Parts: sequence; C-alpha cells; structure tokens
Amino acid sequence: MIVFKNVHKWFGKLHVLNDINLHVRSGEVVVICGPSGSGKSTLIRCINRLEKFQQGELYVDGQALHDHSINLTKLRADIGFVFQQFHLYPHMTALQNVTLAPVNVRKIDKKEAVALGREKLARVGLADKAEAYPAQLSGGQQQRVAIARGLAMNPKIMLFDEPTSALDPEMIGEVLDVMVQLAGEGMTMCVVTHEMGFARQVAHRVIFMDAGQLVEKGAPDEFFDHPKTDRAAQFISKILTH
Amino acid sequence: MAFYASRIIQILPYFLKGLLMTIEVSGISLILSTVLGFVLGILRTADSKLITRSIGVYVDVMRGTPFVVQVFIVFFILPSWGLQLEPLPAAILALTAMTAAFICEVVSGGIKAVPKGQWEAAAASGLTRMQQLRLVILPQSMQTILPPLVGQYVLMIKDSSVVSVIGVTELTRVGWQTVVRIPEGLMVFTLVGILYFVICYPLIRLSNYLEHRLSLQTVKL
Repeated sequence: MIVFKNVHKWFGKLHVLNDINLHVRSGEVVVICGPSGSGKSTLIRCINRLEKFQQGELYVDGQALHDHSINLTKLRADIGFVFQQFHLYPHMTALQNVTLAPVNVRKIDKKEAVALGREKLARVGLADKAEAYPAQLSGGQQQRVAIARGLAMNPKIMLFDEPTSALDPEMIGEVLDVMVQLAGEGMTMCVVTHEMGFARQVAHRVIFMDAGQLVEKGAPDEFFDHPKTDRAAQFISKILTH
Repeated sequence: MAFYASRIIQILPYFLKGLLMTIEVSGISLILSTVLGFVLGILRTADSKLITRSIGVYVDVMRGTPFVVQVFIVFFILPSWGLQLEPLPAAILALTAMTAAFICEVVSGGIKAVPKGQWEAAAASGLTRMQQLRLVILPQSMQTILPPLVGQYVLMIKDSSVVSVIGVTELTRVGWQTVVRIPEGLMVFTLVGILYFVICYPLIRLSNYLEHRLSLQTVKL
C-alpha cells in the first residue's frame, strides 16, 4: 500500500529524512514514534505529499509520488489526514466540515453527502453535534470531527500526526477509542504518537525514528519491552517515566 | 444668513451634479479596483516568485508615488504610447490602478492571516488550490479584509477629488469653478467638504461596525 525506497529529504542543510525504507501493507496499523525533530511528522506528511522529498521512491496505492506529474487531488482524496491541531474549518459547522470534500471533490449529491456526514459523525460519537461550530466543541470533540472528516472520503489510508498531543489528558481516551475501532475494522493506518497503550493494543508494527533515520522497527511488545538499540531504549525509558 | 441660503439654493444643483459625477467615478473605480485588487491579492500569495515580485513592484510604485502624478501619467503620458483617453475613463483608470494596489495588500494580508493548517487541511482532503481558496481560505479572510477594504473605499472617494485636474467635472472641480464666480469662497468649499462627508460617513460607520464585529468574533473563538 505504501512503499518507501531510499527516501531522502532535506530542509536546507538539515537532513530530515535519511534513507527511509518502509513497506506498509494494506490493513496494517503502523505506529511511528521518536523524539521531536526526528522526522516522523515529515515522514507521514510525505505520504499525501504535504511535503516533497528530493531523493528516492515512494509508492502510495500504486501511484509513484516521486513522479511529479501525478494527480495530487486524486491521491489526497483517498488518504485521510488528521492533524495535531485539528485544523477544522472554523466558519463551518461540524457537518459542513465533514461534507465539504465529498461534495466538492467526490461530487456527490448534497443530500447524499449530508446523510454520509451524519453517519460518519455518528460513528465518532458526535451525531448530536452536527450543527455545532468548532469553537463550541471541546478539543476531543474537534479531533473526532476531524477524523470523521477524513473518513467521509472513504479513504484507503488514514494518517494521524500526533492526534492526541494537543488534547487535555481526559480527552485523549475518546479520540483513541475511535482510532482503535477504526483499526479493528481493517483500515490502513500510519499513526505518529507516543501513546504506548494504543500502540500495544492495535499496532502491528512500531517504528522508531531518530535524527531523520528509521532506527528500529518491530512488533509493539517486542519494541517496548526489548528494544534493540540504545537510542530506542533511552527514548522508551523517557516516555515511561514521563 | 438669508443671503447665504438663497446662494446655496442657486448653486446647489451644480454641486449635486458634481456629487453625482464623484459617485460615478468612485463607484465604477470601486467595482473595478475591487475585482482587480482581489485578483492581484490572490496572485500575490501564489507560489511563483516571479508573479509575487512583479505585483510587489507594482504595489510599491503605486503606493510610493503621489496620486496626482499617476493621474498625469495616465492622461498626458499614455497618449504618447498610443493610449489616448477621455478625462472620465482616464480618471477611472488612474483611480482603479491605485486603489487596486492598496486592495491587493489588504487582500493578500487577509489571506496570509489564515493559519497555514487551513490550507493543509483543505489540500489533504483533495480540494484543488482554487477550491481551497474559495471554500476555506477566503471566507475566513473576509473578516480581516472587510474593515480595511471599506476604509480604502473612503480614501478612494476622497482621492477622486484629484481627478479634477484633468477636467472631470466632479465635486471638487465644481467647487473651483464656483469659487471664482461668487464671493463666498469659504461657503463653497465648506459645502464641498460636507458633500464628501455625506457619502464617506456611512462607509466609515460600516468599517467601524465590521471591525467591532470582527473583534467580537475573535473573543468568541
């Protein structure tokens, strides 16, 4: 589904992605962790081309992203992206947020879109908040609307960039629950997160990044309990004591 | 006093005609400069350095030269390049070219004030660049754009007095024509001032209202 082959990216002189090789299969849930500035957000932002890279090959759902002539809108329409800061459209209701892309990208009928939007909002437990504006919702609710917005496009892949990092602790659970449910339904997911509980529960693989390099990958329990590298061990001890 | 009143009644029709011309020149320029200003302002936020810099130069030149000079260039210099305009179209062209530069800055400022994440969220969902702008970015920018935009209209209406120098018989020119014929010079330009104020004041109130509403919304968010 997603194949990185020797991908490199530089921000000026900073080598943010250094020779990334990764294969994510359809239906797989991959958790990406690592210290801040390690390139993990950049990595998943490459998958829907919010970031470009300079070297290497990246295939997403059969499309070659290193080929600059690909149809970006079509690629992105099939990939849901959830941001750390939600980025809901503040001038639209929750329902309008969810239906905007189905109506304007998929060109589906407005009525149909509203039904679809309500269904997706119900799925994240917010059926009663359809008419609310983002400013009237809590952080956890906003992030669940953002997930529903992604799901409304019936994506093949869902990407999550630290979806719970901007949330108050008591709201993290409601967002993770939705993600766990999604993983259970077989969605292909790449999740940048430090939520170890989530990783242990649903991830098929955990990937550890540091300084732009993919340092370690493995099954969650194995990774957290017996990390192979010192850098990963150090990182895990830090998030555990935190 | 009675003398003043009869004098005003005598000259008022000319002033109203001048006022109508001021409204016509400003009104047409307002529409054209808004369209051009938005197009330029949107292009100014584009990725192409060539486009943004060219517009930047244009804006700087328009902002950094006196309007009366711009009017002279349009009316007296363009003809030697083959563009001969009557006073009215020349006035509209000059006003539009200048105001569009200011509106361009207001619009691009409003667009840049929308957080980058909004562009990213819209792009990530598959919207094209034009759709991102039309559906997500501009509706949010309008709150920032509208108060100064209306302010620009006020400035433009007042600046339209300058086109009297190329013979457009608008309010200020009627003032000049009248003041040499009657002795009450002070009254003439007081009247001119009042008539400008009458059309500008509602716009000033509108601008203040929009600003006030904007600050309320910011508090709400």
